[in-house]
Amino acid sequence: MTFFICQFALALFATAGFSVIFRVPVRHIPACVLIGAFGWVTYELSMTYYSSAAFGCFFGACVVGLLSNIAAHYLKDAATIFIIPGILCLVPGAAIFNTMAALLRDDFGDAAEIGMQTLCMAGAIALGLLVIGAALRIFYALIRKTVTLKDKF
Amino acid sequence: MEASRKKAILHLAVRAGEIMMKSGAEIYRVEDTIVRICKACGIDNVEVFAMPTGIFVTLDNDLSNDSVSTYIRRIRSGETDLHKISLVNQFSREFTTTDLSIEAGMQRLDEIERGRRYHFTVRVIGAAVVAACFAVMFGGNAIDFGCAFITGTISYTLSRFLEKYEINFFIRGMCCCALAAFIALTIAASLKGASYGPIISGTIMLFVPGVAITNSIRDFLSGDMLAGLTRMVEAILTAVSLAAGAGLIIKLWTMIGGLTL
Repeated sequence: MTFFICQFALALFATAGFSVIFRVPVRHIPACVLIGAFGWVTYELSMTYYSSAAFGCFFGACVVGLLSNIAAHYLKDAATIFIIPGILCLVPGAAIFNTMAALLRDDFGDAAEIGMQTLCMAGAIALGLLVIGAALRIFYALIRKTVTLKDKF
Repeated sequence: MEASRKKAILHLAVRAGEIMMKSGAEIYRVEDTIVRICKACGIDNVEVFAMPTGIFVTLDNDLSNDSVSTYIRRIRSGETDLHKISLVNQFSREFTTTDLSIEAGMQRLDEIERGRRYHFTVRVIGAAVVAACFAVMFGGNAIDFGCAFITGTISYTLSRFLEKYEINFFIRGMCCCALAAFIALTIAASLKGASYGPIISGTIMLFVPGVAITNSIRDFLSGDMLAGLTRMVEAILTAVSLAAGAGLIIKLWTMIGGLTL
């Protein structure tokens, strides 16, 4: 438990740093920071219980996408502003480094394995955002339909 | 509608789109903003084709006479600036709902474009915190935290310096990661308890192409395949440049015998 709280705090500060670099408007920084931290903790949780980095990225990206869209709705701003700082924690920087380190050892088997995993992680982030995007689109369409139907009858 | 007014509308719309694109907005949002601004000025037939490298807009108001105006704006890559996206978003909402004049709108856009980023020291501290936190998240200890703080500061400063002289992104990523790797290896060799792995991967996180990946997915999702591909390639190239920079230094370090892999 302490481990996850530590990770949450670290991700909090890391996302705050990204928010400063990418100039998130000051009033949105708290929301961005929380989104990034929750995304990372989701990743760590699924790493612990399923031990699959790609799944972790997928769930993390789903959480970031969902929370960002909720934040965008309530704070009345573009979802991109919340997604970009939030998703950066999940981008496989360490995996890129490990692939390169394996290549330097002339260990091509290892490099292919870790490299494949890196690609899978990037793909999983994409998939997570795609799934949430599509789901929300359907959700909004359904809401719009019910609202117009209400007007009709 | 007289030609001068049409031209002013085009200028305004393309300017708004350009600021958004440079600041890292998705294609869908850029095109939507341009169309909304033009429609608010009473032009019904607007066609926009936006890409990360350029925006093409055509206005065609009355189909009877041949008064088609087209505007092409080439876009050089800019820095990600989410505040500008937020401001232009607000501006387009305000422009379409209130009767803001075109000249006043142009002034607002000028103000938005001139907007300053956070102070350089604040950004450097932000970058240092990012690198330090990630070093610990990737399995480093307290010493690595301190070291990554230093490498983060130095390599972010170098990246700003290179950007000032318009060095292209591949060389920039490579130089920054090479410097970070060099400092990390020096520290790891001279300080007991520090390991170079977490420090370098923490610093790499500063330059990782997160914005390009996110935007490319969002572009694919909304059907802008060309823009999605452009940004995907940008993301892959950036990742390769980072790995190449760090790898080069580690290999050289091994060759002179400072390290056994």
